[in-house]
Amino acid sequence: MSLTVDPGADAVEAMVPSVDVAPETQPVGWRHRHLLDVDGLSTSDLELVMRTTDAMREVLARPIAKVPALRGRQVTILFYEASTRTRVSFEVAAKNLSADVVNIAAATSSVTKGESLVDTVRTVEALGAHMLVMRHSVSGAPYLAAETFGGSVLNGGDGWHAHPTQALLDLYTMRERLGGSVAGRKIVILGDLLHSRVARSNIWTLTAAGADLWLCGPATLVRGFEAWAGRGAAAGRRFHVTTDVDEALRDADVVMALRIQRERMASGLLPSMREYAARYGLTRARLARAKPGALVMHPGPMNEGVEIAAEVAAGAQSVITEQVTNGVAVRMALLYLLAGTHGTDLAAGA
Amino acid sequence: MTDLEVSRAWIVDPASDREGPGEIVVRDGILEALTWLSGADATGVTADGVVIAPGFTDLHSHLREPGNEDAETVATGLAAAGHGGFTTVCAMPNTTPALDEPGVLATIRGAAAASGSPVTLLAIGAVTAGRAGDRLAALGELADAGVVGFSDDGSPVRSATILRAALAYAGALGLPIIDHPEDSSLTEGAEAHDGFISTVLGLHGWPVAAEAAAVGRDLAVLGDVVRDEPSARLHLTHLSTGEALDLVRRARSAGLPVTCDVTPHHLALTDEWVAGARRWAWDASGDPWADDALVASPFATTTRVNPPLRAPEDAAACLAALLDGTADAIATDHAPHTDVDKAVEYGLAANGISGIETALGLVLAAVDAGHLPLLRAVRALTIGPARVLGPRAPRSAGFEIGAPADLVVFDRSDRWTVTADSLLSKGKNSPLLGMALAGRVLFTIAGGRLAYEEPGV
Repeated sequence: MSLTVDPGADAVEAMVPSVDVAPETQPVGWRHRHLLDVDGLSTSDLELVMRTTDAMREVLARPIAKVPALRGRQVTILFYEASTRTRVSFEVAAKNLSADVVNIAAATSSVTKGESLVDTVRTVEALGAHMLVMRHSVSGAPYLAAETFGGSVLNGGDGWHAHPTQALLDLYTMRERLGGSVAGRKIVILGDLLHSRVARSNIWTLTAAGADLWLCGPATLVRGFEAWAGRGAAAGRRFHVTTDVDEALRDADVVMALRIQRERMASGLLPSMREYAARYGLTRARLARAKPGALVMHPGPMNEGVEIAAEVAAGAQSVITEQVTNGVAVRMALLYLLAGTHGTDLAAGA
Repeated sequence: MTDLEVSRAWIVDPASDREGPGEIVVRDGILEALTWLSGADATGVTADGVVIAPGFTDLHSHLREPGNEDAETVATGLAAAGHGGFTTVCAMPNTTPALDEPGVLATIRGAAAASGSPVTLLAIGAVTAGRAGDRLAALGELADAGVVGFSDDGSPVRSATILRAALAYAGALGLPIIDHPEDSSLTEGAEAHDGFISTVLGLHGWPVAAEAAAVGRDLAVLGDVVRDEPSARLHLTHLSTGEALDLVRRARSAGLPVTCDVTPHHLALTDEWVAGARRWAWDASGDPWADDALVASPFATTTRVNPPLRAPEDAAACLAALLDGTADAIATDHAPHTDVDKAVEYGLAANGISGIETALGLVLAAVDAGHLPLLRAVRALTIGPARVLGPRAPRSAGFEIGAPADLVVFDRSDRWTVTADSLLSKGKNSPLLGMALAGRVLFTIAGGRLAYEEPGV
């Protein structure tokens, strides 16, 4: 779970696999059996993911965007929460690697008949799954799956806890647009931090990458983060928390808006969507406080006109569709890396 | 009946506030002699080896019978109690059906008799019918049938009006109301202590204020009741926060008739365990990521309990409350569960730790670390809870020469590893599985008969 000894970027260079061939045919410098969270990824792990994603981007640019690397492997995509973009992104990624893909939408399976997660995972494994991509509304659910499943579990988002592939595609997108590094760059995550797995995973990856990270939202939705910011992520990687949107956006290099859900009004955390849009919505006027050309991001799906103005989402500074494209490449990279280290790291948390 | 002679052991006698080298003789189940040793006879006898203490009393356990015999039965619960050094166990009434009328009490008494266990089973009745919170249970009939107090444990007594009535009515019967203090409007969906750890793990926070607000309300109602019914008594169970313990401390110094207990897990474990740390509360910083202290997977449902494992400062407050007497007792809140209820997602898992067999080990961990004197720890497991029970306690909870022996013999120099097989409880839901605890229990004698005997001793 902790940061490991970092061999440095040069060493990582040597470890980047040739993604055209099966991962088990070459040494891959990746020691994690599962990807459940990003808190245990070292900076060299992050570097390896980024370099491998570069290689996958190259694959995606080919006339036929497909390699045989995972031929014969079965990837099961088990989603307990409605999702289109992430589920399809994983499916496309797995198919680009020539894996066999099984999709289970939990709402239509025996899960609704009361089958436990553990039983479902056993069944999926008995049906031949080598890798399990999972989304669940309860924080920590993939850890339970990882205890049972014989292969690799890839967390596709659990409760408020983590969304590792989203954070990694966000990091990839930022690095690419900011000249290869986010170190020292002011990055703002704006909105509902409390309920956001995207924000939590981004805290780990962006602070590890040396960004000047700011979290901003209404007091009810940044609750608890001040204590984290004060301690820092892992060994003192500090970040900032504020309810003052002007302070947060001032001279920012990147602004990432998070989705606001209607149920936040029902639970008494916000007066109204209208008030949220007026006070925290990412409008053109507000974006003008950031650096000229600052990147606009959103993990989707968007409520245009609430947390982000339509003209900003579709504007010249928006990299939202690039996030989607990079998402496929990052997920290809992770499926590939996990396949290569299948079974070598027994710690479920690692 | 049991014969036992233990010579040259460390005897802890909280009734006389004394500990030291000594020996005991039990013949035909009767404690015939307790002799304090001195001089050459006492040489080499230390508190670090074999210890003899009066049998422990647990104010708070869940034996699950009737209704959930897959999780525990009276027989397995009493066997587990013996393994933990307990000779008296108070069973909470949140069974199915709830213990809200004497018929259910007859059922569990029958089960206790059938088990053959010498451990004394005391029953706590429900405060409200069906524990539904709406109207009083058959308090008088339950009192006549022999319950030792009333509690809707698992839930608080939600209505302050009902609580007021219950305190007065039970007070007149000479019995305490035992409240589980929780303001449920602050804990809907709560999974883990509201703090740094829950923020990082994305778990629904369980705020300190939920306990403190409920304790504040309970004390205000108690203050109101005692003006008319001075025999009213309130016992607050499993307090877990410094804030709530401070409120009790102030209320006691103002003379209110309130007592309270803390659990072994709240004084020795913290919310770091939810993240995967496995270090004692007094060694915890509250940031296991920074300390590289994560040794287990996060989200282990064995760490899910109500009230939740708290921050290190709250655990320290529980210890401080034992030291200054604010907390009268250590109660286990033994809460066995099946895999069906625990081998699920963290947010869906049942609350509770199977803890009656590990209580002594956790308390001794605090003793070993120098945070709790042995005598004080034993007091909180014996005469402390007996005083909370008052006249309905089965015995003084001290050593009584000439009476049936009621004592525990444990070896502080001998560690045992907590495993599913080593626990006699049906509930294997312990976050301590795989860990070694000090203080292996060698013998537990209850009412003159063996309640537990370590194999091979």
